[in-house]
Amino acid sequence: MKALLQGVCVTAVLAGGILHAHSADLVVAMPSWPSGQASANIMKVALEDALKIRVDVQEMGTLIAFTGMDSGAVDVYPEVWRPNFDPLVQKYATDRGTIHLAPHNVAATQGLCVTKKAYDLGVRDVADLTDPAKAKLFDTDGDGKGEMWIGARGWLSTDVEQIRAKSYGYANTMTLLEMPEEVGMSGVDAAVATDRPIVFYCYSPHHVFQLHEIKRLTEPAFDPAKWNVVLQADDPMWLSKSSAPVAWKPSSFSVAYASSLASRLPQVAKFLDKVDFAPDEITAMSYAIEVDGKSPSDYAREWVAAHPDRVKGWMQ
Amino acid sequence: MAGTLRRNARLGWAAALFTAVGLGVALAQVGPTTQIFDPKTHKWINYDRKKARQYYAAHGQVPDAFRRQIVPFRTAEKPGTIIIDGNQHFLYLVLPGLKAVRYGIGVGREGFGWAGIVRVGRTAEWPTWTPPAEMVARDPNAAKFAGGMPGGPDNPLGARALYLYQGDQDTIYRIHGTPEPWTIGLDVSSGCIRMNNDDIVDLHAQVQVGAKVVVLMQGAALYKGV
Repeated sequence: MKALLQGVCVTAVLAGGILHAHSADLVVAMPSWPSGQASANIMKVALEDALKIRVDVQEMGTLIAFTGMDSGAVDVYPEVWRPNFDPLVQKYATDRGTIHLAPHNVAATQGLCVTKKAYDLGVRDVADLTDPAKAKLFDTDGDGKGEMWIGARGWLSTDVEQIRAKSYGYANTMTLLEMPEEVGMSGVDAAVATDRPIVFYCYSPHHVFQLHEIKRLTEPAFDPAKWNVVLQADDPMWLSKSSAPVAWKPSSFSVAYASSLASRLPQVAKFLDKVDFAPDEITAMSYAIEVDGKSPSDYAREWVAAHPDRVKGWMQ
Repeated sequence: MAGTLRRNARLGWAAALFTAVGLGVALAQVGPTTQIFDPKTHKWINYDRKKARQYYAAHGQVPDAFRRQIVPFRTAEKPGTIIIDGNQHFLYLVLPGLKAVRYGIGVGREGFGWAGIVRVGRTAEWPTWTPPAEMVARDPNAAKFAGGMPGGPDNPLGARALYLYQGDQDTIYRIHGTPEPWTIGLDVSSGCIRMNNDDIVDLHAQVQVGAKVVVLMQGAALYKGV
């Protein structure tokens, strides 16, 4: 999710990449996160092998990928997170009809997680964070309040986590920290290594669930009547106008592709409609690339070689 | 109650270390202050500059937790990456196989801290120390070396220095050695990460220029992003 509108920042870099698009039969936009990198490369390897077409994989953010699919410069984007990017889906898929979402959705989650240490110390529900005694378990600077990573600056989800912290009330007992994901995840690694409790924003599928023993904090179920979220990009008074004392709406992601593919490369469109990665496979991709250090292209070649029946099924 | 919870949490970790090495001291932290457990009095005492000096004088080295050791470390960061946990006074050098070398460090005083991702821009052996202008302005001892202090055993940068860059820009922060090894485990330096000279030599020998350095934000409400 990576819910990152940070793709806006790479417009200049991408311009060069998009210029090369016409030398390939298909351009797959690749997100910056590992499962998106793996699945983009799996699509490339599978399509090149089966259809003998040339596929280019180019890294870009969700917003750039959507505008590229709308204009014809980009053909495929492997992970469109929802509800995070619902406004883009509404604009390009529903209103303009230039982008098609494949029918298969991968179930995903967003919320707050703790390590087993924190869970064993009694932090099991989001409401526990409003208890000053429990919040103090996470105090690392001696001010009596806990500290918690809520995501990277610029992620759409980070705005929402601020709203949720205010709405639940733990914004009063916890200091909310925004840092790049590597800093947040390395903090979890170091906490586990020294058996210290830690609480942090988490999303799945994600390799952290394989790397460590992680528990999700329970919280009231999503209720659309209580989910009043105004984003920072839309209103300077966004935080005071927002309230969301409930869990995230059940999340998911799916493949998106340019609607024009259905007539230009119908076999590719049919293939993309059938791609059906499971959450466990997405986690395995993330772990192989982030933890085992495999390159996305190497991982993709191995994956396609090991799953001939799956790929064959997508081609039929 | 909160204090008890926290203390117990720390005690579990500290006691494990204590048991493993059989030394007379375990470590803990309460907020920004490092504490050590005195088995004679069964009390936690602040591990401050005075106590650190006394411990070093008695043992000739820092408490076990701050000594160089290979530890299990499950992380997605690549081998060769440095992860700095200023709150616990540890620096990890990630190794293959979900392990790391863990070193004890001294870190910045309140207000001098920082957090984020940087890289090793360059390194130096027995580096020259040039105090920053604000230190020259506030510290007469530093002012004497405004033009630079040559490398050597009394130089505050110690035996080696890793200069931390963000992109191609020197952040002015360094990981360096120290002629005051008893300060490992304390919050005493001017925003830099200090290690004892044996450890910084060991780290320097293993680190490549360009290596990623992740400075954790724990304890970082005080810290500024780089």
